[in-house]
Amino acid sequence: MDTLSSPAARAARLLPPFRSPSSRRPPRPAPEALHPTLWLGHQLGRLREQALPSGYAALDRELPGGGWPRRALSELLLPHAGVGELRLLTPVLVALQRAGRLVMLFDPPAALSAWALRDLGIAVEHLLVVDTRSRSGLDGLWAFEQALKSGQVGGALAWLAPRLPHERLRRLQLAAQHHDGPAFVLRERAASERPTAAPLRLAFRPRGADVLEVRVLKRRGPPLERGLLIQLPAVLSASARARALAGRREPALQAATFVDLRAGTEAPVPA
Amino acid sequence: MLWIALHLPLLSLEAFAATLAAGDVVGERPLALMDAQRIVAANAAAGSLGVKPGLKRATALALAPQLVLGRADRERDGRALEPVAHAALAFTPTVVVPPAEAADAAPHTVLLEVAGSLRCFGGRTKLLERLEAALAPLGHRVQVALAPTAHGAALLARAQARTHCPDLATLAVALDAVPVWLLGPGREHWDALQGMGLRTIGDLRSLPRAGLARRFGDALLNELDRAFGLEPDPRVPIALPPAFESRLELFARADRAEQVLHGAGVLVDRLVVWLGAQHAFLRRCTLEMRHEVRWRARSDAPRATRLELALAAPTRDRAHLVALLRERLDRLALPAPTLDLVLRADDVVQRAAPNAELFGATRGAHEGLVQLIERLQARLGAEHVQRLEPLDDHRPEHASCALSAAEADEAPASGTLVGLPARKAVRKARAMPPRRSKKAAAAAAAPAAVDPQKRRAPEPPPRCTPTPRPVWILPQPQRLSERQDRPLLEGEPLHLVSGPERIEAGWWETALAERDYFIAQAADGALVWIYRARLPLSVAADQQGWFMQGRFG
Repeated sequence: MDTLSSPAARAARLLPPFRSPSSRRPPRPAPEALHPTLWLGHQLGRLREQALPSGYAALDRELPGGGWPRRALSELLLPHAGVGELRLLTPVLVALQRAGRLVMLFDPPAALSAWALRDLGIAVEHLLVVDTRSRSGLDGLWAFEQALKSGQVGGALAWLAPRLPHERLRRLQLAAQHHDGPAFVLRERAASERPTAAPLRLAFRPRGADVLEVRVLKRRGPPLERGLLIQLPAVLSASARARALAGRREPALQAATFVDLRAGTEAPVPA
Repeated sequence: MLWIALHLPLLSLEAFAATLAAGDVVGERPLALMDAQRIVAANAAAGSLGVKPGLKRATALALAPQLVLGRADRERDGRALEPVAHAALAFTPTVVVPPAEAADAAPHTVLLEVAGSLRCFGGRTKLLERLEAALAPLGHRVQVALAPTAHGAALLARAQARTHCPDLATLAVALDAVPVWLLGPGREHWDALQGMGLRTIGDLRSLPRAGLARRFGDALLNELDRAFGLEPDPRVPIALPPAFESRLELFARADRAEQVLHGAGVLVDRLVVWLGAQHAFLRRCTLEMRHEVRWRARSDAPRATRLELALAAPTRDRAHLVALLRERLDRLALPAPTLDLVLRADDVVQRAAPNAELFGATRGAHEGLVQLIERLQARLGAEHVQRLEPLDDHRPEHASCALSAAEADEAPASGTLVGLPARKAVRKARAMPPRRSKKAAAAAAAPAAVDPQKRRAPEPPPRCTPTPRPVWILPQPQRLSERQDRPLLEGEPLHLVSGPERIEAGWWETALAERDYFIAQAADGALVWIYRARLPLSVAADQQGWFMQGRFG
């Protein structure tokens, strides 16, 4: 029998196609799209508020929210001061100062050169340094906590003492929730062995002149196995950088040697 | 005329409670005041234990062993009434405090004449609300009454709270119910009046006037006439004292600074009320803690410890002042116990109150920042909160100095960047000639005014130094060991990458620096800034060799 001419087939052609009840409902949204704080294990988390771009695209790709988080601590672990951490943080600090906010530094490890900061672009007029190293006790942590709780400071960087107890960092993280801006705590490398209350933890290592290796140890997202190599604003000239990259095989630059003719003895010849 | 009378029935007890340490609220502990071995006032807690005015001291202590007894002090009550009068001065210039020695004593009452202020404050109810809000911080219980005459209002306030008599007829009706005991002469002749069955003023008024005058004197009739508006009642308004100085005697000796804080809080309340009456703001004040002679450990110990509080921005905020005082008192060690506190306002500035802004971000944020910086300076000391200042010196250790951010400039107009406190050089920079410091002070005093439009224009600043300088400068150059004439850092040889840069400066001082600077790369890749004397053989032995001055951060 011809199926097209059967009464059932003709009826089926005339009527609209039958739809099951479940297909009439709109598709359910994925759970991670419901709220910014929900994320699956393999996804990079999003932040409730707009993150501040760090100024380096390679780093922004790996940070949840695409930048430095607000209202939370960002922990940076350094082997020692002077690996390029300030050059990495310069874009976000300059953006905060241009918006008219104040940047505060707590207990920097050494004196800061105002000319060098100006060369980087940071305005020293809108920078406040709180130095409590000569005072005993927890005054530095108290000052940092007060600045975070006030909510008026644009950005805060704090160099914390080594082997800080965990509950003190937790307290700072709670205070940072009132702070509308980035809050960076810079600690020693050995702190990576202990857990932290900060939602973001990065470890820095210098890898040559003007190149910084950043390893993301903790973030709201999948772990990052390899480290990022970030190219920092150049301190060295091109020829100096070439000399630095040439390696340590032969010292291309030598300081002059001085011979004391008065005493009649010769200074040793450099190797 | 419309008079408001504020009667404080518990003023003596509250003034006494203010002298106790924190935590002894009037309503909780049984308190009583004594005058010549007899109880004159007792609070509700003491009353529930059976302590009533008129008892002897021993009886009262037998009834309530935990009773706290204080001496009735008229001066203390008068000092406690002053802030109430000052608070009332914010609403009308005619504020009268009836003197306690007058025959028709209306004790602990403040009278305000507000007929002229009603329109300004938007009506009677609104004015009363604002008045109560202004008196709330002082913590007194207030009974309010309104009447066309001053004395009528005072009587009504003492008799019953919250009465309003818009005209003399209603005033007459209300006053008729007032007990006779509240009148001054009525108290003297109380026995006689009671014997005659005259309890209320209405009873008095129903009697013939000539008879009343003959029996009880003219003073009684005079007072009644003034209360009912039949006789004029001129009053002299008080004048606000030009300078604020308030004294508080503590009940117990204060050995530690935090015990002083409660008394200081009471004084700050009075100061804030006085400032509000003047529409002024505080810049500098002094808290003096006087020490008793016999408790001073040594005879050469100071008589008083002074705590000066200087504010970056003029303020009237009670919470901020108390927080600053707490921080300063925590750091203070008292040489001797103190019993007497005096708060003096040294510098007061008249300024209009800040308008509440629609998008209140700029000014509110600036004030919040200034308060945060003040709190940090109060606790850490002004020299630990610093700003960096670049100086015209080629020597790296003198090229920038950290000055304390001590003074604040006036809040800049909206649209400018948040102006930081202009600094007052506390630590004199070693290489700063005076010519440079004046220029720096003038340049920093003017706040940077940037239009909102220009704020977004990205302009990279011109390079300030010919060669790159490290961000981190070590305060003392670190000596580096050498191996085969190459400097070592932590055991690894440094790899010279850039240089030499010759810096010779400081010939005008003894700290002459003639150095060749190199940028070197350490073993882990970090860049350091090292130097060597230009002529190493002509300097002292401790200056020869390599030194590390900074790190590139």
